Amino acid sequence: MLKAPYTTGYLTEHFADDEFATLEGYERRGGYRVLRKVLAEVSPADLIETVKASGLQGRGGAGFSTGMKWSFMPKGDEKPKYLVCNADESEPGSFKDRILMERGPHQLLEGILIGAFATGSAKTFIYVRGEYQEPADSVERAVAEAYAKGYLGARVMGRDFRHDVVVQRGAGAYICGEETGLLESLEGKKGQPRKKPPFPAQYGAFGMPTTVNNVETFCHVPHILGRGVEWFRGSGTEKSPGNTIFGVSGHVQRPGLFELPLGTRLDEIVFEHAGGPPPGRKVKGVIPGGMSMPILPAHQLDVPMANEFLRERKTMLGTGGVMVMDDRTCMVRAACVISYFFRDESCGQCTQCREGTGWMHKLVERIERGAGQPGDLEILLDVAAKMEGQTICAFSDAAAWPIQGLLRHFREDFERHVADRKCPFPESFEL
Amino acid sequence: MPRITVDDQTLEVPEGLTILQALDAVGLLMNGVDIPHYCWHPKLSIDGSCRLCQVEVEGMPKLQIACNTQVTDGMLIRTRTERVESAREGVMELLLVNHPLDCPICDQAGECKLQDYAYEYGVSESRTREPRRAAKKRVDLGPTIVFDQERCILCRRCVRFCREVPGTGELGVANRGDRSVIETFPGTRLENDYSMNVADICPVGALTTKDFRFKIRVWFLEDVPGICTGCSNGCNVHLGVANNKVYRYVPRRNDAVNQTWICDQGRLSYKEIEAGRLRHASVRAEGAAREVAYGAAISEAALRLRRVLESKGPGAVGALASPHATNEDLAVLRRLLDALRIDTRGFAVVRGHEDALLVKAEKAANAEGARRLGFGAAGAVLERVRQGAVEALLVLGHDALASGALASPEDLAGLETLVLLASHQSALQRVAHVVLPVRVAAEKRGTLTNAAGIVQAVEPAVEPAFEAWTEAEVLWRLGALLGVSDFAGRFDPAAVAGAAP
Repeated sequence: MLKAPYTTGYLTEHFADDEFATLEGYERRGGYRVLRKVLAEVSPADLIETVKASGLQGRGGAGFSTGMKWSFMPKGDEKPKYLVCNADESEPGSFKDRILMERGPHQLLEGILIGAFATGSAKTFIYVRGEYQEPADSVERAVAEAYAKGYLGARVMGRDFRHDVVVQRGAGAYICGEETGLLESLEGKKGQPRKKPPFPAQYGAFGMPTTVNNVETFCHVPHILGRGVEWFRGSGTEKSPGNTIFGVSGHVQRPGLFELPLGTRLDEIVFEHAGGPPPGRKVKGVIPGGMSMPILPAHQLDVPMANEFLRERKTMLGTGGVMVMDDRTCMVRAACVISYFFRDESCGQCTQCREGTGWMHKLVERIERGAGQPGDLEILLDVAAKMEGQTICAFSDAAAWPIQGLLRHFREDFERHVADRKCPFPESFEL
Repeated sequence: MPRITVDDQTLEVPEGLTILQALDAVGLLMNGVDIPHYCWHPKLSIDGSCRLCQVEVEGMPKLQIACNTQVTDGMLIRTRTERVESAREGVMELLLVNHPLDCPICDQAGECKLQDYAYEYGVSESRTREPRRAAKKRVDLGPTIVFDQERCILCRRCVRFCREVPGTGELGVANRGDRSVIETFPGTRLENDYSMNVADICPVGALTTKDFRFKIRVWFLEDVPGICTGCSNGCNVHLGVANNKVYRYVPRRNDAVNQTWICDQGRLSYKEIEAGRLRHASVRAEGAAREVAYGAAISEAALRLRRVLESKGPGAVGALASPHATNEDLAVLRRLLDALRIDTRGFAVVRGHEDALLVKAEKAANAEGARRLGFGAAGAVLERVRQGAVEALLVLGHDALASGALASPEDLAGLETLVLLASHQSALQRVAHVVLPVRVAAEKRGTLTNAAGIVQAVEPAVEPAFEAWTEAEVLWRLGALLGVSDFAGRFDPAAVAGAAP
């Protein structure tokens, strides 16, 4: 089992050490000191201001300002308020939250408790991806330890602050990583995103004001509060401060996790950290941020991994899941796999997504089979365009973008399939 | 009240509503302002999933769904721009990707929103070359509804209806993505007192009622506004009429009476317009009933009543009003009884199951009208019959017995004269001396007063296939024959205009 990323930073520096996952071991390495200080000395309003000033962006894919999100929570306490830790990590190509839960569960809990204090939340639901047995076990052990030690429960660290944590397992659906799909699932309903408004900060879990944050997002919080905004902004870019954990998979010699500053160049991640493609092969394209993000071709990898730069190349950081494809890869097959996934995972509420994901997959699959016809690519692009920006949640966009990306940069692959009436990449992966 | 501008109209709309709700509230939705929609329904919760109702809202970069966007003062909404039209085209094209396009054999054809909107807002050519999804046909959801999964566009109105209106929640969406299907939960059937409403709110031919499907093409039907007479709630309906026959009731929206719903029992009560009708006037002579001409039966009734009136006086005559008759019928009855000084009068109504939604205990459309026209409980009348004080009884309504007000027809066997005006056959015929078939509400003009006191008009949707007059017409002639001065000539409805209390 992978214990720690190949390159570590403030999030993961102690991960090789098994003790770090225990409360005692975590405290021995400075853990929970920040929480103790925050509870004693800092007001919730100041906490939110500090997180805002740090520029911390959510690490779950959308990159929204964490401090802003916290500030949306209503101030009074007529209703109980909830935090939700999104540990669904369902984006293909993403596997960073897993190690954060397995190796540093108390770091996560400390972040959650600070967030709970800042937002006045009574309870946190940690919604763990159904397939994640070890991470769930690890978090549950940590929660039990924290209760035993009085770090959770009626009086957190002896203060007048109650907080409870509930670990809830998912049942295996991509869409339960979307925050309102997660809330529905958490409530025991079918995982289908909610229409907005109302937003979770007004009407969230069980109808109560709720903030949903990603695992990694919480993990940054104790470090920001402990070492200060300036220290945090010392890493990453001006607009995207801090480290993140990139997960590199696919055709590289050293696939795995790498904690690096945001803004690290994509080619540096692929070639230096992950060792580049296997000998004798060349990189053909790289998906920079999990499967829903548009691909970049080999000649565009000189881009800093931060949204302000990636956007210029019509893609996004997403969850930092870097997927590398070498020159034997058939991009139509890639489109097949991707469109199949989104067809399978669409919740089926919105017309564009339900019907569009199916149509795209059938079309791409037909082209791959060699039965493509002139005009198919235009239809494909048109369907993708119709799926964008018109649905309850961003899933439909997430299904359209990768196909648009593949056609933007590898249209030739598609055209050859249509012209030759067969797949011209015999050595590509099997479907 | 917020002022909003929709295209070129500026409107004042009630506060706190979404765009579709606001337009619905001022009566403009699809009636001046066309924003096509599938999942939104005025009486169900907002779903926001079909995405057809997207409009441009000034100041918002993305198109907004009109069903879930709150109106604000000064809001500027555009419903006919190129972007809106293109979005609608997109939704319509995508909805048709997996639709079987089997309109020629689909019972919804002609009243199908998928047909209508595809024609109005869609593109005329299909670009898909992919196989359409295969799903279950003719799914037997329960005693009243058949479901075609392939035709379903997953607007989920039926799912929300069952959860929110009867509260039974039998339906859900199984699977996900383009494999999503509406299903009853395992071990349950779609079986509630309002189940057939799902066929009305289904915008396509996915949910059809076993009762109506394949009976007739809907474009042959004329929709005549009317009132369901199954109970005293007076649910508003459209009678679907062709060839002088009522093929169905569908609920007609009236927010003060029945919202957009009707109970299954009431819906199926259209059958009683034909079934069990009393078709012949008859007179009993020497123990046996004999069919006679309508006029002859009225003359016989007049003769018999006159005999008792003259020999025993008005105190020996009684009358039971019918809660099925219109206010106008009952007003004529009241005038006749007043003129003849017959004070022994009342009415009875069958009582049955009621619920908190629509169904009322009184199983007649105008019990409240009868009450307001001064007809009290039938008990007093029957008590006088039992005492032998009444020798002639004028009975309106076939179910005066079923109400429990009368123990059995034999209780009336001792009467010198029993005149019965009824629309339907009943045991009362066995003891009546004169029987006159009369019209039902679907065959006449008049008003009915529902349980809440709301007066509602009916108009003739069909003509009876046999001779039958309204109660008012019969009583008018009877009055004339009995010498009531202002009952001369033919009955003139103007004589009782505004009779409804």
